[in-house]
Amino acid sequence: MAGVPDPEFLSVEGPEFAERVRVAAEITNQLEQQNWDFNAAPEVFAREAACDVAAKEIVTTFDGRVQTRYGRLVMKGAGARFNLLSHESPRAAFLGVRPDVFAEVNVQVGSAGLLDFPEFARMSPLQRVELFNPNVFYQLRDVVFWSVLYQSGLFPTGFEDIGRQISSGNVIRNLLFAPSVPSSNGRQELFMEAFSAVQFPTDVVEWMPKPLFGGMSTESLHIDTLLTLDPTDLSHPYLDLVAEGKVVFQDRSYYMRRFAGISPKDATRGPGVPAEERTH
Amino acid sequence: MPRVDPGFRRKNGRIDMGASDYVTVSNPYSFDLRVRGRVPTDLCGFLVVPTNRRNKDRRYFARWHDSQTDLVRLDLTPGRPGRVQANVLEVDPAATDLGERIGDGRFDPQAQLLSAGGTYITQPNHGANIAGDTLWATNLLFGAPLEVDITRWKPVRVLSYLDITPWTPRISGTSHFAWSFDHRYAYFHLSHLEPGGHGHPVRAVDLTLYELDVSTGTERSWRLVPPPEDDVPEVANFHSCFYFEEGGRPFVGMLRTGALLETIAPHDAHVDHTVAPASASAIWIVELDRSRPSLQARLLPGVMELDSLALSHLDVDRSRRDGFVLFANFKEADVGEETHGRNIYGEEPEAVAEHYSGMIVEALNYGLVIRYEWRQGVADLRTFRRPYDPGRTSLGHSWLPINIQLGPDGKRLFCSFSGFRPRLLPHHIAVAYPDRVVDHTTIRSVPPLLMRMDAETLKPDVQGGRGHLSYAEPMAMVVTGTAAQSYVCTFSPESGLRIYDADNLGKLLCHAESPQLMHWKDTHFRPDPAHLAFVPR
Repeated sequence: MAGVPDPEFLSVEGPEFAERVRVAAEITNQLEQQNWDFNAAPEVFAREAACDVAAKEIVTTFDGRVQTRYGRLVMKGAGARFNLLSHESPRAAFLGVRPDVFAEVNVQVGSAGLLDFPEFARMSPLQRVELFNPNVFYQLRDVVFWSVLYQSGLFPTGFEDIGRQISSGNVIRNLLFAPSVPSSNGRQELFMEAFSAVQFPTDVVEWMPKPLFGGMSTESLHIDTLLTLDPTDLSHPYLDLVAEGKVVFQDRSYYMRRFAGISPKDATRGPGVPAEERTH
Repeated sequence: MPRVDPGFRRKNGRIDMGASDYVTVSNPYSFDLRVRGRVPTDLCGFLVVPTNRRNKDRRYFARWHDSQTDLVRLDLTPGRPGRVQANVLEVDPAATDLGERIGDGRFDPQAQLLSAGGTYITQPNHGANIAGDTLWATNLLFGAPLEVDITRWKPVRVLSYLDITPWTPRISGTSHFAWSFDHRYAYFHLSHLEPGGHGHPVRAVDLTLYELDVSTGTERSWRLVPPPEDDVPEVANFHSCFYFEEGGRPFVGMLRTGALLETIAPHDAHVDHTVAPASASAIWIVELDRSRPSLQARLLPGVMELDSLALSHLDVDRSRRDGFVLFANFKEADVGEETHGRNIYGEEPEAVAEHYSGMIVEALNYGLVIRYEWRQGVADLRTFRRPYDPGRTSLGHSWLPINIQLGPDGKRLFCSFSGFRPRLLPHHIAVAYPDRVVDHTTIRSVPPLLMRMDAETLKPDVQGGRGHLSYAEPMAMVVTGTAAQSYVCTFSPESGLRIYDADNLGKLLCHAESPQLMHWKDTHFRPDPAHLAFVPR
């Protein structure tokens, strides 16, 4: 996830925007011709990492044919506008979600959700943000073009991960969000909360893979609740099972297995080590 | 942790994955993976994967060597999408399920287990050696090979040629066997390990080279006499071997990895301690002579002089049947140490969420791939060694090389590199290698990599575009098919099975995955398996 501390793209329109589109296309072509080596077009490097998911609460329903993943995401960031990239099936639908779906489960489990983590109290004040302007990237070219056009930038290791997802037949969904009160100096840390859901056909439960480190939070507080129509012994790849039973969710009865803990991220780096940048 | 209503059944009691606590009978089970794409017609057969399993709770420490083995057999049925079925064989490390089936009176699992301090006889969580319908699965370093009938997916016997005693409570052996030209004979070494302690490292004694006749199941052995200039029993361990002939005479080459162990048992307390640094790896060459009870080893010239650590994996081109071209890799890691304690940034393990529940191997610096051609006593050595350059990712890197395999055409070399996770490198290991360790103030995470190279030049096999590499790939890898059409398969429990066109590593043909691969009850497979073998049907 990259941040856009000072989003110029919101202030450009008309012929200036058309010119920016032309330049972005040129840079994209140049980068592709150079085997996607960022040194060939240093404009592509993100200027600084500015946002990470710091906590997440997921409720997943699975009926044997369709999986719906409801997410409450708490992001830690510095800036005014941000974009969130994630991969998913080309058959996935992006849905809106009511915040109360998490409470509907938690009240039956006897849990306060993320508030059960003492660390969550430090993630305040929490600004509610809406995810807007969703778009889908199908090729590496699309990802680079958008990132150059809107000057959000990319990091090479994250870009390689995107490339692997695209070669696997997944698409990349891009979502924007902006806090109503941005960082005072562009660097002040903020906590933002967003809700979203994605639904896709599948005959097996698909867990979300570990995200890449975005520069702000090396780990996430994580609750993942699996709701299935039939009993299951499925376990989360790395979270501990903390509860199981039955719940009613959206007027339907489900078997419930809840997993919780601190989940790691890939590609973390040591304290003080800078993000990827142009090399010689 | 979230509160749990008393009305909900709380999971209580944890499974300690220390092997000494694990004794059960072999218990295979099966399930289908979800397949997207197609399973190519040429890939009708089995993929065999030895895995490591540990507790999810990273407070429960277990060494990599000791982690519970499950052998996974993926049955591939070609088609669009085709079918991939997983069959998981939970190995009994105590081999109690084999006791009555050994039948030769030599092997008493209970007595051996007692001599081993109640730990394990076999824990084959690493190498997969295959001939016909038989698998010999091996550990990284410890324990005897386990022979498995692939079709029935049942263990058959433990190759327990050396008895375990209270004075030599562990066996060390070759993970990756050498094979004769006709694939009838397998060659590997076994030795006893004497416990270290009180400032004295573990020592390998009774070094023995075995020749296993896979058609009869019988074996022959020779005592090995170390080269005089490399007679250091503390580092005499051999991860891989290869067979070759020269002038019609048979030889076995043995990659002396050089893992240095302070003690056989895991550390009692996982605190920083002084690490005795490992020394440069080497290759021993022995000529097979059936008229002799022992064989004198000599050093292959020019290898120890490379001054690199942890020579581990290989492939060999013996097509000329006189001499060889060896492709091998050095991990540049201290493979005998346990990853625990503070990291190089001074962070405690509890503060590093990506920590495993126990040991893995993390490199000190980027590794080395060599191409060593040996003809009539003349050597030609080429090398590939490269850091990760985020600005030029198309060049690849050589951080922690794992698999190395020639393509069926013999012209292309496929390698997997595990990359680097700087926050997993322990401080106490790094300080033992001040001249080798990377600058921790500038190094970032290095992603895993699958790369195709030119086997002649060891340069990345760039043919336009990015078809010569794929980042963030699982480490377990195998190349199969024909010179005209070959495939690269990669696998990890979380990423699933991925099948690529070997000509274009950006062209995924098949992806098969299942959530049932991502855990076993409430434990999981960590670290990802290193190796994968294809068995055609």
